[in-house]
Amino acid sequence: MPLARILVPPPAPGLDMAAQYGWPQSTAIRAGDLVFVSGVLPVDPATGERMQGTLTTEAHRAFQNLKLVLEAAGTSLDRLVHVRAMIYDRIEYDALNRVYRQYVPEGPPARTVWSVQIADAFKIQLDAVAAA
Amino acid sequence: MPVRREIINPKNDRLNVSRNFNIPHSPGVRAGDFIYLSGMVSINPETGERSLGTVAHETRQILSNMAHMLESAGSSMERVVKINVLLYSMLEFDNMNAVYRQFFPKDPPTRTTCGVQLSGGLKVEIECIALAG
Repeated sequence: MPLARILVPPPAPGLDMAAQYGWPQSTAIRAGDLVFVSGVLPVDPATGERMQGTLTTEAHRAFQNLKLVLEAAGTSLDRLVHVRAMIYDRIEYDALNRVYRQYVPEGPPARTVWSVQIADAFKIQLDAVAAA
Repeated sequence: MPVRREIINPKNDRLNVSRNFNIPHSPGVRAGDFIYLSGMVSINPETGERSLGTVAHETRQILSNMAHMLESAGSSMERVVKINVLLYSMLEFDNMNAVYRQFFPKDPPTRTTCGVQLSGGLKVEIECIALAG
C-alpha cells in the first residue's frame, strides 16, 4: 500500500515561505518514517522579516526555525538524520561549526556543508531530513 | 527484511541521460517506498540532446521530463516529497519559480534552492525524492 504524503503546517506565520515570499514549496512533509524540510532560512518566525546578520547570528536563527518546523512535525533536532548546511562562503566553516554543535550536541546527524549562493543574500540555509 | 532496490529507467530511451551521455549514475533508484531521481538537466525528449535556453525554458523541460520519469516508475509529480533546485545564479530565482509553480499547483513538495556552478552551460538542475505508487 502506497505511503501517505502528509503536509506539515508551518509552525509560525513567518515560516510560511509560500505565504510570505510566494515560493511554491511546502514547509515540511512527512512521508513514512521520514520528515523532509524545505530549506530553512534565518527569518523572523513571527513576521517573516529577513534577519540578516553575521553567519553566527543567522545560524542561530536558522536552527531555532528548524527546531520549530521539526516540532510542528512531531519530531525534534535530536531526531535529525541528515543535514545539508549551505553557507555563502567556505571561509565561515568554523563559525558555522561553533553554532552548529550547540544545537546537535549528542550524536549529530550526517552532514554535508555546501558553499553556494543563497536566496536574498542570506548567509545560511539548512536543508534537513529527520526521523518522524 | 531488506527492501527492494530497483533501477528506474525512463520509458522514453532518449531521456536516459545516464546511458546516452555515459554518466556513471542511474536515472533513478527505487528503495522501498522511496524513489530517488538523479539530478536532471534540460534534455529534448525527441532528440536526447541538451536543450539549453532561458531558466524558464530549462525549468519547463526538466519538470516535464521529471513527470515522465516518475510516471515510468509508477509514481507522479503529486507524490514528490522533496526537490532540490540548483541554479547557475540566484538572480534568476523568480524566473525559475514562475514556471515551477505551474507544475506543482497544489500542496507542492518541500524544496531547497541554491546557486551553484553547473556543467555544459546549463542553467538549471533539479533532483527529487518521491513516494512510490
